[in-house]
Amino acid sequence: MVGDRSLEGRTVYQVKDFKSELKPIWCPGCGDYGVVQAIYRALANIGRAPHDVAFVSGIGCSSRIPGYTTAYGFNTVHGRALPIAQGIKFSRPDLLVLAAGGDGDGFSIGGGHVPHCIRRNPDITYIVMDNHIYGLTKGQLSPTSPRGLATASSVYGSLEDPVNPLLYVLAYGARFVAQGTPADMPGLAAVIEEGIRYPGFAFINVQSPCITYGQPDAQLKQHKAQMRPLAASGHDPSNRLSAMTLAQEYGDVLHTGVFYRDPEPGPTFEQAVAQRQIAQGASRDARERVLERFAVK
Amino acid sequence: MRDLTIGMAGAGGDGIVSAGESLMTAAALEGYHAMLTKSFGPQIRGGESSFRLRVSTGPVYTPGGVLDVAVALNWDDFLRFGAELPIGGHTILVYDTQHAPDPGGVALAGVMPGEIVGVPIAAIARELAGHDTAKNTVVLGLMAQWFGFMPDTLLAGLRKRFQKKSADVLEQNERAFEAGRVYATDHPIDTARRLDPARAPGAPPLPMLLADGNEMCAAAAIFAGCTFFGGYPITPSTEIMQFLGRELWKYGGVVLQAEDEIAGAGAALGASFAGRKAMTATSGPGMSLKTEMLGLASIAELPLVCVNVQRGGPSTGMPTKSEQSDLFQAVFSAHGDVVRPVLAPTGVADMFETTVEAFNIAEQYQTPVILLSDAEIGQRKEIIDPIETRRFTIVDRRRPSPRELEAYVRYALTESGISPISEPGMAGGNYLAAGIEHNEHGAPTANGVIHARMNEKRIRKLDPLTRWRGAVTMAGDPDAPIGLIAWGSVAGVAREALDRAERLGVHAKLLLPTLLYPVPQPAYDDFFGSVRAGLVVEQSHQGQLYRLLRMFVNVPAGVVSLARSGANPFTPAEIAERLAALAQQLQRSRVPEAEAAID
Repeated sequence: MVGDRSLEGRTVYQVKDFKSELKPIWCPGCGDYGVVQAIYRALANIGRAPHDVAFVSGIGCSSRIPGYTTAYGFNTVHGRALPIAQGIKFSRPDLLVLAAGGDGDGFSIGGGHVPHCIRRNPDITYIVMDNHIYGLTKGQLSPTSPRGLATASSVYGSLEDPVNPLLYVLAYGARFVAQGTPADMPGLAAVIEEGIRYPGFAFINVQSPCITYGQPDAQLKQHKAQMRPLAASGHDPSNRLSAMTLAQEYGDVLHTGVFYRDPEPGPTFEQAVAQRQIAQGASRDARERVLERFAVK
Repeated sequence: MRDLTIGMAGAGGDGIVSAGESLMTAAALEGYHAMLTKSFGPQIRGGESSFRLRVSTGPVYTPGGVLDVAVALNWDDFLRFGAELPIGGHTILVYDTQHAPDPGGVALAGVMPGEIVGVPIAAIARELAGHDTAKNTVVLGLMAQWFGFMPDTLLAGLRKRFQKKSADVLEQNERAFEAGRVYATDHPIDTARRLDPARAPGAPPLPMLLADGNEMCAAAAIFAGCTFFGGYPITPSTEIMQFLGRELWKYGGVVLQAEDEIAGAGAALGASFAGRKAMTATSGPGMSLKTEMLGLASIAELPLVCVNVQRGGPSTGMPTKSEQSDLFQAVFSAHGDVVRPVLAPTGVADMFETTVEAFNIAEQYQTPVILLSDAEIGQRKEIIDPIETRRFTIVDRRRPSPRELEAYVRYALTESGISPISEPGMAGGNYLAAGIEHNEHGAPTANGVIHARMNEKRIRKLDPLTRWRGAVTMAGDPDAPIGLIAWGSVAGVAREALDRAERLGVHAKLLLPTLLYPVPQPAYDDFFGSVRAGLVVEQSHQGQLYRLLRMFVNVPAGVVSLARSGANPFTPAEIAERLAALAQQLQRSRVPEAEAAID
């Protein structure tokens, strides 16, 4: 039985209700273990049934994540989690839709989808597990690898500057932008929950270190010591410019918490769809009569 | 006469297309069948434009061959269309005297038209309508009078079209139309031709349908229950998205013009995962981009209809010209051991049925289906008989019963290979859909035994398709020794070629496949049973269907390929002659082994 009856008769969900029987393939010590735990917690707090959640991912270590939940999962192809998640949300706005993937999925092969998802503003929460490396293929450069990084595919060091995911989504107009780390589980669960509750597109960058191919000096232990909660810094999350200024420190300073939360969430694409359908008289037309449009009278 | 083909060309702004559409609409109101194709110069705006319209008292399968009537508002522009507007010894050529050179003095590839009539079209328009732009209306008046082309209906159509404009414009056009009729009355042509009425006098009007293939595809999708479309503009398929962008909302649907071809297909696949019927549409290069998503649909066993309105390729190729050169791509451009059903419509009316079948097959078998249309069918307008939609069955995916949901196994290895499919929102149906190989429960695996079993399941479930009754259409005598095979827009040419061949005394029969892949082998075996010689006719350089058939079917040695690149259309006469030649060869070589000797 999934969920328990509360005193008010409402079903209450717990972390265990969202945890599947599949054993993660992740290396011991991988940051992604913490991310999936944080997602269980956030979903349990939200209180929707697992069967009302659609969890979409791309390809990569982190993209295995939907299978470790009891939600309806869709582990798709590399870089395409967002288009598929949008198709789900636009056709079934009743569902809680999550998308997840790695930094390569979101900012390299799938980077072109992010701006368009942002401008449609679907009520989808997108969690990127940013580890600055391609782990599944055993340690190649990722779009967020620092310049100069020597990897399996850059033995003499990277010749490129990294993408700044936070600045990227802020520049395209994302209305909810946050960052977390599994080194701070309560904080990570809290921003994921807040992202899900935000009525529009929410982007959450999770610094989720790769224990096998990542930099030894940027692991959870260092995160714990170095992270700087934005809430304690006096940052006003309704100030986009100030958020962008802080986001520029990506790679140097590990800010955690909400960078930006648009106080006026604005319409989602699916809300606009519903209005369009009403305006066009949806379901007034029987599909059996569609050919009448071609009748010459 | 029962059949009339008119071609008209002029400069941009001459209202060529609108004249063609006026004639088409009037023909539909009078109950004729017709086919209208338009052609333009390469310019985005302006430049030369043309149409050809074939009107008939019976069903029309091809745009017709040599023109019966050719109208040149501008002679230079007319010539630019070359073989698209062929003039023959029986053609009546009407030209505007304002835009000489007098075509009487111009060699038309050595052919002299049957009759050449110069008319001061622009002068009449200026004098009576006060405006050059009424030239096309003057032409409508000429057509009405000389060829009995529905004068009252044409006039009523003009009134309808211009009622939104000022009273002046309407009056000018009425005068121009009348002036054309008067001129035609005063200047009778020698070769009198009048179109027979489409209906017996007093017969009740039938509501004929007027649509192009792309619109029909979109409408059929709505009929089949599609409520999600994701796509990206690409010639010549864009009209599918545009039609749905106007209409789909009215049926509770959603249209997403995505950021690219991949996202369009991806969003459609997401909608399908969420339990909705979904479609994407594109043309050749877009298909290349969608191919990865189709692989995902195959392994995740999700229904999806993907339309490819083929154009000349590769790459940008000839985007406005029709070709059938994406068959190999449709069948073979899959990673992994995949069978994807590929269906082809043969015309606008057939587009309805084939699109509905594409959705039905996608739902029934939980598979992506490629609907392989072409620019010719997508873009040409046809007047067709009303379609009795009640005779169509709509298939929905097999969803799990409440009992099955108690112990749900998404990819259960059933006898048919089809496993009940749940969707988000169904309690107990929760599962992981994945591009990664999985066991019956959807859990990822790298186990070779499971992989083999799942491949077997995904391919076996499609087996019944090859025995599907709708897989092919056959015509002609089942015992005929000459066989003709064609698909897509060439199917219509083949139909008329068969009629011609029979008139030439050739004992032939015809097979038009709707299901291109998996190849419906039993139907071909049956067809080839009596065949000793024949043709597979198609618009591709390699003869892709011919080669595909030889992979899967025992094609008699006497059956050869007649194939050529797009924008070089076949004519019924040409195919009929080839069939007649094959018949003669057969007759000369009475020895049974002769089959092998025929090239």
